[in-house]
Amino acid sequence: MNGFCPELVWEERVNRNDGSSFEVVRLWALRLFVMTRKELLQLGRDVPLLLFLLYSFSLSVYISGAGIAMQLSNASLVVHDGDHSESSRELIHRFREPYFRFDGEVQNSKEGMARLDQGTAMVLLDIPPRFHESILGREPVAVQLQVDTTNAPQGLSAAAYAARIVGGFSSDLTQSRLGVATGDDMQMPVVNSAHRVWFNQDQDETWFQSISHILRMITLFGFLLPAAALVREKEHGTVEQLLVSPVTPLQIMLSKVLAMTLVILAATALAMVTVLKPVFGVPIKGSVSLFFLVTMLYSFTIAGLGLFAATVTKNQAQVGMLALLVISPMLLLSGITTPFEAMPPWVQSLMALSPLRYYIDVTYGVLLKGVGLELLWDSILTMALLGGVLFGLGLRRFRRQFE
Amino acid sequence: MNVRRIAAVATKEWKETVRDRLFLLMAFLLPAVWMAVFGYGLVLDVEHVPFAVLDRDQSSLSRDYLHRFMESRYFDYRGSVHDERDIDRLLGDTAIRMAMVVPDRFEERLLAGRPVTVQTLLDGTFPLHADTLKGYVIAVNRAFTQELLAGFLGRTRGLSPEEARRFAEPVSLETRYLYNQEVRSTWSMVPALIMFSLMVASPLLTALGVVREKETGSIYNIYSATVSKAEFLIGKLVPYFVISTINVVVLWSLAVWLFRVPFKGSFTVFFMASVLFVLCATGIGLIISLLVRTQMAALIITIIVAMVPTILFSGLLVPVSSLSPGAQVQAHLFPAMYYTDVVRGSFLKGLDLKAMWTDLAALAGFAVALRLVAYGLFTKRPKT
Repeated sequence: MNGFCPELVWEERVNRNDGSSFEVVRLWALRLFVMTRKELLQLGRDVPLLLFLLYSFSLSVYISGAGIAMQLSNASLVVHDGDHSESSRELIHRFREPYFRFDGEVQNSKEGMARLDQGTAMVLLDIPPRFHESILGREPVAVQLQVDTTNAPQGLSAAAYAARIVGGFSSDLTQSRLGVATGDDMQMPVVNSAHRVWFNQDQDETWFQSISHILRMITLFGFLLPAAALVREKEHGTVEQLLVSPVTPLQIMLSKVLAMTLVILAATALAMVTVLKPVFGVPIKGSVSLFFLVTMLYSFTIAGLGLFAATVTKNQAQVGMLALLVISPMLLLSGITTPFEAMPPWVQSLMALSPLRYYIDVTYGVLLKGVGLELLWDSILTMALLGGVLFGLGLRRFRRQFE
Repeated sequence: MNVRRIAAVATKEWKETVRDRLFLLMAFLLPAVWMAVFGYGLVLDVEHVPFAVLDRDQSSLSRDYLHRFMESRYFDYRGSVHDERDIDRLLGDTAIRMAMVVPDRFEERLLAGRPVTVQTLLDGTFPLHADTLKGYVIAVNRAFTQELLAGFLGRTRGLSPEEARRFAEPVSLETRYLYNQEVRSTWSMVPALIMFSLMVASPLLTALGVVREKETGSIYNIYSATVSKAEFLIGKLVPYFVISTINVVVLWSLAVWLFRVPFKGSFTVFFMASVLFVLCATGIGLIISLLVRTQMAALIITIIVAMVPTILFSGLLVPVSSLSPGAQVQAHLFPAMYYTDVVRGSFLKGLDLKAMWTDLAALAGFAVALRLVAYGLFTKRPKT
């Protein structure tokens, strides 16, 4: 062993010296370093896992960034046009991409309903006969829309866009009837909205999706890597060997956290350099070093949670189950997949315990909004507190189990 | 193939599982807990959006206008500001997601029959959110405008209120929501959550099965035993298949009794599809178990492979037809999408086998293909 690890030879020499407090600190740090190196070596030899880690932080970020759009896009539309007139064509023409994709005409409503049943269409627009005549005759007329709401939010969104389109069509008619020109001179009381979208003017969803994918990956790896590493030692019995060696429980736990945090930081940097900046052009507005500092803090926090899970379980199968129990609510309810404000109050208070909740605010704050510590200090502080408490609890349980 | 040998492997595996109390408990508890937590907690509606206003006009009409936002359940009023710089700060700190700026002379211009423009500042970090908000604001503005216009036409052209209203809205839209008339997000989420729970929990049950024996060395007993490859793999799967099938029934009952989601289709078809899907899900775990050497790798890869595509590409949140072509290909290569179709079809649409046989066939195809891959990967004579 000594031949394998030159540091240990040196360590023995220090031991004999019975050195000053400075020497004690050095020795402590050295042992931590040796242990961290051991973790990294062990991880480095697990080739399938490493390859998967690389995939998760590169190609997989690209796929979910480029592939997912939660905004209504290309909702499949079929039309039953009972009028086939100038007006009906004009209205149908307004249902267009990127929101709707015209997927053909159907001969009757029944055929349209069959398409909705099969799920090959999401929206059926039904224009009544005499649509054009009614408009010319200045009679009010209604068009019908059938929306598949098996996916409620998407269905609602499609209905809202359709209402916007028909509303626009309708008010254009009113305006042309009043015979006034559009523009500021228009003699009609109308409230227009001018939207300014901040932090992401074009509402480029790839930014949001690719960043949130990285957050998901950091959370999963940050929890599982240290947790599995610790349980494995328990399962194989090597943890007893470690405990009779001069390293302390704190060093054992800390070395795992350090090694895995390093791995995660490197992977995050990889994702930023290979995908976020060159492929999606995410404008990194804030300070990159602040982002990495916070990511380090977050990895530490989530590793604390993972190590705590490792102390309450006996084998890797158990820790896997426990990870799913804890992580999946975090991933789905902390606000990366769905807006946080809409959650019921009990979920919001439960998620106050989720470090991811704070990390999300900080990440988007730094990367997209370009704000700094002056606004984000409270989130960062809460996250640090959570991390400290979790790590402390894990350490206490770990000590009690083995001493 | 010898049924007794399969039974022997299955019994051994079953005993190992049952003796690990915590694992067994979680195998049953996990899907049910998810169903309850996500069924009640995973709300996708954009509601209670915190917003602030900057009212430069301070007239009765501008207050009336802003009041419509404050009273809406979609918005959550967080106060007025007097300076645009305050808006910057509040948006940056995520204290609000939206701000409305009403220009001065708002009332004066509108009463004079002239258009005004209201500024809406939106937080664009969550694009779906920003987009939905825009839609809400436009809808409120349209309703407000139509009332103003009707009043204006009544005053200037002497139309009766009814005539003025018809004039202001010549074409209207009647929307019908199908399959889920009240558009409850619970109804669309809960059936899909059956898919999610099975897809994420089942592979993990099998994932450690083979690799654990590799890591502890007990796999050599199998190598030297008379049990054949197929017998071993089938025996390994049986206990976990049983657990997952029980979970199917539990999840279905929760959806129907606890969440009161209507089940309109045929239970036989649903159950058949579920069994096929469980075979797929456990098959994925088994294959990962055969590919890697350490339990740690099996654990991490399984969780990520099961969880990420299930959240993103299964139709749980985003319909597959709306994905980009590349992501659609990925969705079709993963069994979860077909099962989501069957679950939503059976619960909400009331479809029969005729409408869904392609999905069932795809699931059956996956189940068989995954078995064949596992059979090909497993060898009793490993190169050291």
